[in-house]
Amino acid sequence: MASTPGIEGQKQKHRPIIRIGIFIIVHSLLVSVVCCVAGVLALLLLPVLAKKTYISENALMPGSASSMISDQDVSGATRFINELNSLKSKSQNTGIEIPRLIALHMANMGGEVSYHNFQTQQNNFHPLHFFTSPNAEANFVNKTRESSAINTIGIIRAPRGDGKESIVLVTPYNPLNLSQTEALSLGIAYSAFSLLTQVSWLAKDIIWLAADSQYGQYNSVAAWLRHYHSPSFDTCHESNLDSTVSVSVSVSDSFRRAGTMAAALVIKVAETSEEFEQDSLNIYAEASNGQMPNLDLINIASYLAVHGQGFRVRVEKFMSLVDATWLKVIGHVFEFVGKIARSLNPQWKFGISVKEYVEGSATLVSSLYNQALGVPTGSHGAFRDYQVDAITMEISPKLSSISKSRQTEFLFRGGSLIEGVIRSVNNLLEKFHQSFFLYLLTSSNRFISVGVYMIPFLLLVAPLPIAAASLFSDANNSKNPPSTSFKSWRWLHPTKTVFLIHLWGAIVSLLPYFTYQIPDSNPTSRLLTWISLSIFALIVLRSFFRSYSEWTLLKSVTVSASFVGLCLMSVINFATAEIGAMFLVPMCLMIRPWRVAGKIQSVLNFVLIVFGFPWSGFFVVRGLFGIENGSGFDEFWYWVESLWAWNSATYIYICLVHLPCWVLCIYILLHRC
Amino acid sequence: MEKPSEKSWKKQPWFWSSAVASVILRLVLIVYFPNTLNFSSRPEVSTPLTSLRRLAEGYWLKQSSMSPYAGSMYHGSPLLLSILGPLTIDRGEGKSNHLLCGLAFVIADFITAILIRAIGQLLQVADIKSLKSLGATTHLNVSENFPSGDIAALVYLWNPLTIITCLGYSTSPIENLVTVLSIYGACMRLVPLAAFGWVIASHLSLYPVILVIPLVLLVGSGLDTPPRKLFPYIDDDQIQNKKSLNRIIFSWRRVFLFFLWASIWAFYVLILCGISLKDYSSLGEMFKRTYGFILSVEDLSPNIGVLWYFFAEVFDFFRNFFLMVFHINILFMVLPLAIRLHHRPCFLAFVYIAISSILKSYPSVGDSALYLGLLGLFVNALADMQFSFFLFSGYLGTLLLSPVMHNLWIWRGTGNANFYYATAMAYACFQIILVVESVSSMLNHDRALKKVSFCVNKFE
Repeated sequence: MASTPGIEGQKQKHRPIIRIGIFIIVHSLLVSVVCCVAGVLALLLLPVLAKKTYISENALMPGSASSMISDQDVSGATRFINELNSLKSKSQNTGIEIPRLIALHMANMGGEVSYHNFQTQQNNFHPLHFFTSPNAEANFVNKTRESSAINTIGIIRAPRGDGKESIVLVTPYNPLNLSQTEALSLGIAYSAFSLLTQVSWLAKDIIWLAADSQYGQYNSVAAWLRHYHSPSFDTCHESNLDSTVSVSVSVSDSFRRAGTMAAALVIKVAETSEEFEQDSLNIYAEASNGQMPNLDLINIASYLAVHGQGFRVRVEKFMSLVDATWLKVIGHVFEFVGKIARSLNPQWKFGISVKEYVEGSATLVSSLYNQALGVPTGSHGAFRDYQVDAITMEISPKLSSISKSRQTEFLFRGGSLIEGVIRSVNNLLEKFHQSFFLYLLTSSNRFISVGVYMIPFLLLVAPLPIAAASLFSDANNSKNPPSTSFKSWRWLHPTKTVFLIHLWGAIVSLLPYFTYQIPDSNPTSRLLTWISLSIFALIVLRSFFRSYSEWTLLKSVTVSASFVGLCLMSVINFATAEIGAMFLVPMCLMIRPWRVAGKIQSVLNFVLIVFGFPWSGFFVVRGLFGIENGSGFDEFWYWVESLWAWNSATYIYICLVHLPCWVLCIYILLHRC
Repeated sequence: MEKPSEKSWKKQPWFWSSAVASVILRLVLIVYFPNTLNFSSRPEVSTPLTSLRRLAEGYWLKQSSMSPYAGSMYHGSPLLLSILGPLTIDRGEGKSNHLLCGLAFVIADFITAILIRAIGQLLQVADIKSLKSLGATTHLNVSENFPSGDIAALVYLWNPLTIITCLGYSTSPIENLVTVLSIYGACMRLVPLAAFGWVIASHLSLYPVILVIPLVLLVGSGLDTPPRKLFPYIDDDQIQNKKSLNRIIFSWRRVFLFFLWASIWAFYVLILCGISLKDYSSLGEMFKRTYGFILSVEDLSPNIGVLWYFFAEVFDFFRNFFLMVFHINILFMVLPLAIRLHHRPCFLAFVYIAISSILKSYPSVGDSALYLGLLGLFVNALADMQFSFFLFSGYLGTLLLSPVMHNLWIWRGTGNANFYYATAMAYACFQIILVVESVSSMLNHDRALKKVSFCVNKFE
């Protein structure tokens, strides 16, 4: 009502910034296509753009001191392994005997020893866990006392320290069925621990946690950490071990602590690797919700392993992608472009070889996939919840390691690697803060920092607000608007629809609570209950919104909602947002009612919607990344269950952003206009 | 005059059912999910001034015969201690001790909404009256007007920010209630009530002091009207007919009464504070710990405002200078806005509240909830506001991003203060755009009225 015909007639002069906005909105189709293509290209370019890692914190000084580990330490470790093996073959009650043996050795070396007796906790489903503080979790009472396990903890008090900081060594082992590799990892920890009791340079306390992993490696470490960080004053459940086992050394009744943790190393030994001539070191770093430890920790471990001990350092990668032809083709293209660039200007170090590119991509994809799942790749994940940087160092000996002399050498090298890393962390004056927390690895010594990997994502999602704005202005400039006044508030109706659908998403995400109440049901029936309840909820909510005549506004609001959702998710867990954007962005941009769109576009939309459904999307992603798929229903259900169990934000994303947008896209596709 | 009241009567069942539904929602959330989301520990909801935990601490100190301001925990009014303090006592046996407080806040929210509704109805009656006097009713089809009071009240009640504030046990609902009470009193021209509301609101959170200008305008010259210079277009005999409607006389007597009442109330409040603090503390300490705490930005813990980060970074010897600069920022805008919008005092009050909630030292989402509710009062005038959807998405995005960034910084340790501050700045930007757009569309609305009244007069 503000604009009489007189005003509308004359062309309004806008400010330059608004004119730029209008220009982009008018050419939104072109901009969208260019941005999307650039986003995908930039994603493919990421392995090329990866930088070499460097140790950012000067105080770390890895490898500046020579290794002090002696034959005595290693021979002690060998004896320890032999005792473990003989105990395994002799004793029936290894569940108690092995912790006792470890405690005995820890005490003999001069450490303070204590047991941590814990019950495994059922991994509960906390949909809101992400936004609550970690200590809120510690409150809930554990009722199941059926299964208990014993962690053995040895602490060396630093001669130079004030007891306020500590470094943690973790060796997971299964006392009921101790394997040779677990014995070896205990041996490596033993050799390092034995050395560290004697050295004078120690400024941080050392905690050796021999974690009882009979109920899962992660659970034992998480239980110990929970106890460590929550002050509790009852000691009743610690003492039952002492009554059953007579230990000749003094084992403390109470739970021992040693300051805040600077870093944690999980030591594992893998089966012999047949690929390589050298011993190799696998580094696993992904914690829950795509969190990574500080890059410096990975750097010093790989630096010392390569330069100090001559290990071959590897990061997990998808082997199936290494042989993929399409990656090789892209690699050839980039190599060719790189050659041309170098011929133009020798200063441009742009290209990398095909092999490097393919390997880098395979590692990058694995890194993305593991971060997107939001499930930790090992027991180091438990530390990240308490802001402690931790990695798993999995050492795999080369083929001929069965012999006795080879085992000694292996223990020696493993021990000195651990010693080097601990000595380096020991030098640290502050928390790890200097290097990156947000990065993706393309090999053990190449990384992509947040500033680089955000570019493809931003390019990919940039068309969304532009498309929303262009649709919005189209809807406002349409020929016969329903009412002249309140023109700028017409978005309220489609917003209501979008809000209701997102509310439905929230209900869907909470429904598994109730499906779990049904006793004795198999995964398929649970999944079917879930689906049918979801559809029922959708039908109930459907009665609240009347069909809206304009699809452009509805699409505009949908696109904005998905943009907000994707941007939020990119902050929470980048990898999920990136993979999610690959599905959502084309779907949201392309979708049109089939009555309006042409035949080809309708077919394309239909295909996009089929792939956009989480269930099929799951298999598409797994297929692309070369993970073999099992049988349909159960596989998906187990995957979703694992997401709950690990409180993965990916689950929240799928239910609150992806699924509602998918439903809205179907709604738009079937729109009668 | 008949029409709107009849209309609102028809709408009333609908209004009351959704108002009651919002109250029930609050009660359900308070009773069944007391600690699920931990709203009371979120920096967006509870500030050092409004946190109920701090109030409980102050009350405890006072009960044990110490100054409630000892230890820099409590920074609110001693009167709030006497009113809300007894409700915070832990009754033990695992009972949720904040239940009664929650109930008090729900009631406060509800009364605020009712007052906003009453203001809206008054405004709408005045609006239609002045449009009729302009002879513009036929041109601006009044029948399309919405019952702005109902809309504003429901916006206030159903605003997620209000609900979060209510669940977060911060004292903002009380502050909002008193602020709205003062505007309501001024709209009804109940001078003592307006003065009471103003004094208490300024006593509780200092910033409502600047509302004195809209309140004086309301008390002196009545509710919002189109600009006065439109009226000369009307013929003389028309003026004769509608003299009682058009002629706006600024009543100095009421203004004098307002200030008289305000000083009486202020005196009364000071005496009450003095009595309440008699044995433990003094009025001087009270001023230092409440107003001084607000003005000198002592607590630099993060919030959704823009000041904490700045004063954490600024060099100490520039601190006083920048304190003055930041506080004068608010005062700078008071006068120009008053001159430009003096014919619309209610809208002026909304703009003042919005600006002070952007620039105040410890803002919370409760302040935003208040001005977003008041924005609903002008829904008819702001029908053509630009960027409304953009602003809506922006508010939604930043308010969801804020806890995520906080989590990234505080709990995960992978982000830093800049992450959180970035969302605070984005939030401030959206608030500024909202203020700018609403003011400019209000001015456009006035211009449109001018055109219409001009046309009407030419044809006649």
